[in-house]
Amino acid sequence: MQIQLENLVPIPLKDKVLQRSSDIWNKEVSFTPGSFVKIKAPSGTGKTTLIHYLYHIRYDYTGKVLINGKLWQSYNKELIATMRQQQVSVIFQDLRIFEQLTAEENIELKRVMIPQPYCTTEKIREMAARLNVTHVLAQSGKTLSYGERQRIAILRALSQPFQWLIMDEPFSHLDDENAQRAADLIAEECRTRGAGFILTDLDHDSRFAYDTHYNL
Amino acid sequence: MRPFFGLIKKIIQTGIGRTRLIMATVGFGIAMLLMLLAIQVHTDSNQLLYSRKNQNETADFLLINKQITNAMMGESAKSEFTPEEIADIQKQPFVEAFGFITSNKFKVTAAAPGDLHFYTDMFFESVPDAFIDVKNEDWKWNTGDNTIPIILPNDFLNLYNFGFALSQGLPQISQETVKALPMKITISKGLDVQEFSGRIVGFSDRISSILVPGNFMEWANHKFGDGTVTAPSRVIIKTKDPSNPVLVKYLNDKGYTTNQDKIKHSMTILIVQTIVSVIGFFGVILFLFALLVFSMFIQLVVVSCKREIQLLVTLGTAPRQLRRYLMWQFIPLYVITGIVALLILAGLQWWASNVLAANKMFIDPMLSLVTFGAAVLVLLLVYLVNQLNVRKYVGEVS
Repeated sequence: MQIQLENLVPIPLKDKVLQRSSDIWNKEVSFTPGSFVKIKAPSGTGKTTLIHYLYHIRYDYTGKVLINGKLWQSYNKELIATMRQQQVSVIFQDLRIFEQLTAEENIELKRVMIPQPYCTTEKIREMAARLNVTHVLAQSGKTLSYGERQRIAILRALSQPFQWLIMDEPFSHLDDENAQRAADLIAEECRTRGAGFILTDLDHDSRFAYDTHYNL
Repeated sequence: MRPFFGLIKKIIQTGIGRTRLIMATVGFGIAMLLMLLAIQVHTDSNQLLYSRKNQNETADFLLINKQITNAMMGESAKSEFTPEEIADIQKQPFVEAFGFITSNKFKVTAAAPGDLHFYTDMFFESVPDAFIDVKNEDWKWNTGDNTIPIILPNDFLNLYNFGFALSQGLPQISQETVKALPMKITISKGLDVQEFSGRIVGFSDRISSILVPGNFMEWANHKFGDGTVTAPSRVIIKTKDPSNPVLVKYLNDKGYTTNQDKIKHSMTILIVQTIVSVIGFFGVILFLFALLVFSMFIQLVVVSCKREIQLLVTLGTAPRQLRRYLMWQFIPLYVITGIVALLILAGLQWWASNVLAANKMFIDPMLSLVTFGAAVLVLLLVYLVNQLNVRKYVGEVS
């Protein structure tokens, strides 16, 4: 799955974005499939906005987001759903966990969304053990701490097949040790799928062997 | 897809307004029952009317005339059928055969022979032979014959035997005796008089009139009549089923009358059909309201779970999956309701067929295919309306 940006400018941030130089906004960018991409972005530069544009849940921009050479807007809802089930996965900054489900059900929901699940339940439990969240799996989403939610969101994103993983500050609520464990798991899962990721964060970090760095 | 739906069930709560849904479902069940009942009763009553099993005769004859009202008295022309009216009757689907009743245009008197001292003015009518239920070799007349064969109504002899004779102390007479009695028939027009000998050749149950052969009537009307052709005021039709509501309605609409007893059965059925039509109409109204409540319920569910549905879609749930899930929440309910309504109706039908059979009326103990078809159609309609609503509301939030 090819992701390209052409002169992408968020309408609410237009003035701000055009005043400063950016590697992404108002540029032509092509993300190479399978590559690990880091986008470093100070607060208020439209980091989350960019993630939402890439995942196509916000549309208030000028310019183009091209997926396999076609505008996001040209895909219909059913097709977008299929792509979100099979080709592109996401970890939101605000995590978006269903509070009426348990932690495990939150992951399961995404796993069984496709008729033939990509991961087995054992695989999920194994990954949960690696992220030290086995003990919260049966807990209701409501009672999870932010750190736990974040790891559940990561596991949820990894339970499906994808070619691109889009992450918005995925370790913001984790300590360094847990963040590194999560990063190692993510890197491993991307490699087995031959997939790439786009990660946005506030600061510089060396948790992954990034192929490309951008400044927003 | 099943485990996924199990999880969605925890997210999209269809439990809200459960009582409303149950009430709507009960309403839908009743509506379905009423509509199907109306259809089934129509089928049953048609079966009662037209089925061979329920018919004692394969065809019936009706004498039809215009109702004599006070306004028409003294103006005999008003009771005559115009050619247009006759053509109209003839082209009605229930008319299998049609004939005029011709009356005499001359004066007729009859006298008993010998010492009986019986003398009366009388009249003749004639109908085409095909309509006469008396089959007799003597029923013929050729020009020049001095004997006229006559058919009397059976009622006529009965009136005499059981009414007149008993009260007046006169002897009762058998059909054979009457047939053996020669009558002196005198036909006249002014001074032109001719005498005939009349012979009763049979008694008719079908036509209550004094009948003579058509060719005699023609000849006599020509010879003794005033030359004008008068339109007939009575006609006779042959029909498969005198209870046919279409026939009864036609007669009523046109202001014609006939032997009311023969069509009474049909009136009862007509009333029953009208009542069940009203019931069916209320069923339809109730059904529409049930549909409305279902639609509102779907809207309520979708709107109250708007955020959840949006997150599901964000995570990659296809609107198609959501629609299928929502449909699965409702459709089994409808199908079960439909089946229950059909079962209740089947029970009623079986019961009714037993009760009617005891009274020598036969209807099918099973529900008709039309009823099943209607049930399927109603369910299909509910399905479509639901599909439309689910598509609309899911489309709005996703």
